[in-house]
Amino acid sequence: MLPLSLLNAAQNKPMLVELKNGETFNGHLVNCDNFMNITLREVYQTNAEGDKFWKLKECYIRGSTIKYLRVPDTLLDAVKEEQNRAREAGRSARGAHVSGPGGRGRGPPQRGGRGGVRGGPIRGGRGRGRGM
Amino acid sequence: MARGGGAGGRGPQPTMDKPKREAILDLSKYTNERIRVKFTGGREGAFYKQCEIYALIYLHDTLVTGVLKGFDQLLNLVLDDVEENIQTENETTARSLGLVVLRGPTITLLSPVDGSEEIANPFLAQEA
Repeated sequence: MLPLSLLNAAQNKPMLVELKNGETFNGHLVNCDNFMNITLREVYQTNAEGDKFWKLKECYIRGSTIKYLRVPDTLLDAVKEEQNRAREAGRSARGAHVSGPGGRGRGPPQRGGRGGVRGGPIRGGRGRGRGM
Repeated sequence: MARGGGAGGRGPQPTMDKPKREAILDLSKYTNERIRVKFTGGREGAFYKQCEIYALIYLHDTLVTGVLKGFDQLLNLVLDDVEENIQTENETTARSLGLVVLRGPTITLLSPVDGSEEIANPFLAQEA
């Protein structure tokens, strides 16, 4: 469970963001990037002292200023399930059709996504598949 | 495909990666709109000057509002009619700065002024 993949999966979910300076932002995640920069919508901003409040339609927060993000507990299960589904899909695709080294990027991926599809069966892709 | 360092997880990554490279914030929708920008590197708070014994340095983030005139992908901004809001202990004074180029990497927070307002504690209401 990678922090950023959890965050990615939290899109459109409500969350609380606390910045290093103590300010907090409650809102729905619109988007995020690999720097953890985020955009929120329908935001309630609270100052560090917790005595002033603002309602913002939208806001952009720079990732490096974030202390932590609180996300819904249910998100963890959702992401795990999603990962399992992806894994299953990858496995069955490999088993049925030897779709090359796609899926999980194991083995030498240099054989390439596209070329592998045709190259696979000749090179005995079946054996590779079972090896995992 | 031949992007550097893309070793593991080849399959989904290029497609997942592509949109992430773009800015997650579409600033063009804010052009000619007034936005509120906070950035790091505030000045020393007034508290420091009043308090000679405890040399407490209190750095406020700088808060400005201005009308967005231009931007780039690094989030450098051109703002017009900029007002800097200086927060001292219990009052806020505004200083007019005119046309300004803001350096992107120092920006910590950005939100449109339109649709933003100070409100009473919304969380108390939810509990009640």
